[in-house]
Amino acid sequence: MQKLTLGNALIYGLILFGGLLMAFPLYFMLVFATQSRETIFSFPPPLVPGSIDQIVSNYNALMKMTDNTFWRVFYNSFYLASMATITTLFFCSLAGFGFAMYDFKGKNALFAVVVATQAIPAALNLIPFYLVMNLIGWINQPRALWFPGMASAFGIFLTRQYIQSAIPRELMDAARVDGSTEFGMFWRIILPLIRPALGTLGLITFIGVWNEFVLQSLIFRSPETRTLQTLIRAISGGTTATNVDYGGLMMGTAITVLPLLIIFIFTSRQLITGLTAGSVKN
Amino acid sequence: MKARTLIAFGLAAAAITGLVAAQGGMKKISIAAFPSLDEAVKIAMPALKKKFPNYEIELVALQYGDHHQALTTALATGQGLHDIEAVEIGFVGKFAEGGGLEDLNKAPYNAKALKAQFVDYTVGQATASDGRYIGLPADIGPGTTFYRKDILDNAGVNASELTSWEGYIAAGKKIQAKNPKIFLINSAASAAGLIWRSNIPAGEGIFFSKDNKVLVGPDSARWVKAFTVAKQIRDAKLDAKIGEWSNEWYEGFKGGTVATQFSGAWLQGHFQNWMAPETKGLWRVQDLPDGAYAPWGGSFYTIPTASKNKKEAWDIIRFLTTDRAQQIAAFKGNGAFPALKAAWSDTSFNEAVPFLGGQKARLLWKAAAQKIKPLDVNKYDSVAQTIVETQLTAVLDEGKDIKAALSEARAEIEKRARR
Amino acid sequence: MNSQTTIKQEFHFGRFYTRWQRILAPYVFISPFFILFLVFGLFPMLFSIYVSMTSWDAISGLGGMKFVGLDNYRFLFLEDTAFWNSVKQTAYIALISGLPQHLIAIPLAFIIHTGMKKMQAFVTAIYFAPFVTSVAAIAAVFGTLYSERSGVLNWLVLEVFNKIPLLNSIIPDDPIRWLGDRHLVPISISILVIWRYTGWNTVLYLAGLQAISQDLYEAAEVDGASRFERFRYITLPLLRPTMFTAFTFTIIGNMQLFAEPFLLVNTSGGVANSGRTSVMYLWDNAFNNLLFGDAATQTWVLFAIIITLTIINNQIFARLRND
Repeated sequence: MQKLTLGNALIYGLILFGGLLMAFPLYFMLVFATQSRETIFSFPPPLVPGSIDQIVSNYNALMKMTDNTFWRVFYNSFYLASMATITTLFFCSLAGFGFAMYDFKGKNALFAVVVATQAIPAALNLIPFYLVMNLIGWINQPRALWFPGMASAFGIFLTRQYIQSAIPRELMDAARVDGSTEFGMFWRIILPLIRPALGTLGLITFIGVWNEFVLQSLIFRSPETRTLQTLIRAISGGTTATNVDYGGLMMGTAITVLPLLIIFIFTSRQLITGLTAGSVKN
Repeated sequence: MKARTLIAFGLAAAAITGLVAAQGGMKKISIAAFPSLDEAVKIAMPALKKKFPNYEIELVALQYGDHHQALTTALATGQGLHDIEAVEIGFVGKFAEGGGLEDLNKAPYNAKALKAQFVDYTVGQATASDGRYIGLPADIGPGTTFYRKDILDNAGVNASELTSWEGYIAAGKKIQAKNPKIFLINSAASAAGLIWRSNIPAGEGIFFSKDNKVLVGPDSARWVKAFTVAKQIRDAKLDAKIGEWSNEWYEGFKGGTVATQFSGAWLQGHFQNWMAPETKGLWRVQDLPDGAYAPWGGSFYTIPTASKNKKEAWDIIRFLTTDRAQQIAAFKGNGAFPALKAAWSDTSFNEAVPFLGGQKARLLWKAAAQKIKPLDVNKYDSVAQTIVETQLTAVLDEGKDIKAALSEARAEIEKRARR
Repeated sequence: MNSQTTIKQEFHFGRFYTRWQRILAPYVFISPFFILFLVFGLFPMLFSIYVSMTSWDAISGLGGMKFVGLDNYRFLFLEDTAFWNSVKQTAYIALISGLPQHLIAIPLAFIIHTGMKKMQAFVTAIYFAPFVTSVAAIAAVFGTLYSERSGVLNWLVLEVFNKIPLLNSIIPDDPIRWLGDRHLVPISISILVIWRYTGWNTVLYLAGLQAISQDLYEAAEVDGASRFERFRYITLPLLRPTMFTAFTFTIIGNMQLFAEPFLLVNTSGGVANSGRTSVMYLWDNAFNNLLFGDAATQTWVLFAIIITLTIINNQIFARLRND
């Protein structure tokens, strides 16, 4: 329908240019991951990916830098993000169901509390969080990072919105007549019906926990429990007297970023529609 | 489903590893360190395994800053501590004053008898004001001036001119006149940092006197000189404005665009191994300007009171610090200058260092190490340092008056320390 | 034949159970959130209020806390210039990294929503992709791109842009000191922040646009309104509630910026503390300077500042609505 005018061409040109800017750092992450340290820091810098040999050598450098713990650390991140996702899906949709399908005393006030907690700056909790985790001995324990967040306000909000808009209350009455318990209704009827919302919430949670940096760096100290984020930080040099092999480091960052990027490529439509639908009536 | 299976598998695997470790009768001892001390521990690993076959030794390395932060938070609550915690010299005084680390003077350690074996200042540095002694020194870093002989020769500068600050700046001007692309120093702030922490009378600190008086101020010759010299360097455009441990820093050494560097003796190892191996034979060392002697890095091993394997930890750190062969191995493999005086009699100390054009540099460092005095530490040192560095930047970048900057720095430090 | 009585009893109990589980069910379903919030959210916060009234180096353990009343607050308000400098710097970085996100995201969302059919999902995904990357990993990449003597950005500036006539007159001939100049450090941090979060805001605005009735646009098109006019007179006013939400998120998020600057310029905060945000400052105070009491105080004052800013934001939007 749109005519291709000069103005339109300019607009699409700009959007294309912006898209290139978005891809720019990711492209160079791949370039650096396949080049040697010397090449990365030469001038002019490398602009295209390197050879297979260099990929192998960067991979070996990464293994050496991490004392062969890299894949174990990768598993730690996977375990943490999976636990967070599974528990979040269950507890958030349960609470979302409670808020969406029941009328009970104090409902509005309680829901307002849920929404209000989202406005509390996370930084407020930084120091007390560490102290409390110490108190209960959860330092170095993955559960320190998935347990407290498994009923997140965001997830409750998202599932409540979806259940309210997608599921008629009459369905509940019908189920009750059939003798279903309240939890049974949630488990057998609601959960299967809200799969799209669960998909969105699951992706958001997995991505968020996988990428989280600050709390992970407070909690994980030993090489056995370390996650990808803390490992990348530990091997990236900074103000230390180490000879950081940037080829190996960039290989590590690529392996950290790529899995999520690939999952995202295949799920972006659902993720984004889920997000937009979830916050429509915000 | 899949995720759950994986998780179950992971849990089972973790349980099995735990079991195996327990069944083998191995005692698991963990050492937390930072670069490049972690390298020294790695080098010592085979010897440690041989000496203590029943210890399963695990090394945990974090970044320099992160390691000390993690140690601080772990000490705060007594959790997440390792059996052996390495501490850098800049932090050891602070940790000595707090609790949470074992007093090695006491039984069963009785480290008193060992102290005479180490360079004097390390003992003072690791001793708290109430006499507790918390760490055995792993290595030291006698401060020294590195200079590019070829660049100096080319500009007609004699190395002896670098021994006073006036001569040092004049040399920089000559170097730049010859080749405007070559800078005297990475950053003017490095010169200031050297001046304000050297030639300090025994018992005094960098920022505070023993009785907590702030030493920073426009009436302190040391501080005025530090700021003035840095300002002169910046005004003459002699510094490359490069931060240490940045890629630009390494590039500067590789490309030969920086003529001098004040640092610990260990920097030679970094030059040789990776920073600028191609500059072999071009560097030389000599004592710091104005007859200054200053510690430049160095590390200690400590044992947290919360460690469950104190005896084993003690065995390990005593071996690492007092075994002559170990100290020499760390020196040769990692450039870690021994804190153990007995190691200095090794023949390698009389040898010429090929990277430094055959200079017998280790004799120079040995002499310098013995002249370094312990610095008094104050719990507000790091606060004061931040304040001073901010003022120095204002002086260098914005032309703020030096006396005014130092007065402000004093006022701010006093506000903090009064509490 | 006594089954009848049994059935009756069972029925009775069943009814009782059914009734109570129906009343209690919603409370049980929502309880995990509240229990977790009390234990891991509220309790630590209350504890930190107490910590803010103590002098505590933390090394000496919980027993080493010394109660000092409101002295930390007095010090913070009257004497701690470094904290207020960090607030100033945080607000500055929050502004220059926050505003562009919305200036890009709003028109972008509008164009995606109105002008794109098949490409809609693809374009959104491209802009959203940075949001799924890890900050630790991507900061390492940006640090390399920013490198002064061998970075891709400076190569572009010196070797590509500088070779283009016209452009070369405004471009400097010396390498740009992305992370080495105190005026540039906030900008370099902001570029990373803008890169990561613009896509997120675009999605928020897309959600808002979907709530605007399509009929309005069609009516306007019939009246001959240009695309810009439709944007100006329909989209912008009706998007205000979304803008309010998105602005609030940005204010809360940007005022506690930590990971990006921390990873780019390190704990020290970069040249002349130009990249040191308030959270970095309080982190430094707690974990480096061992001033946990002060750090807790700074946390609460920062919280008050954030609340104030969101209230101001609220007021501005309320006034806009009334106009």
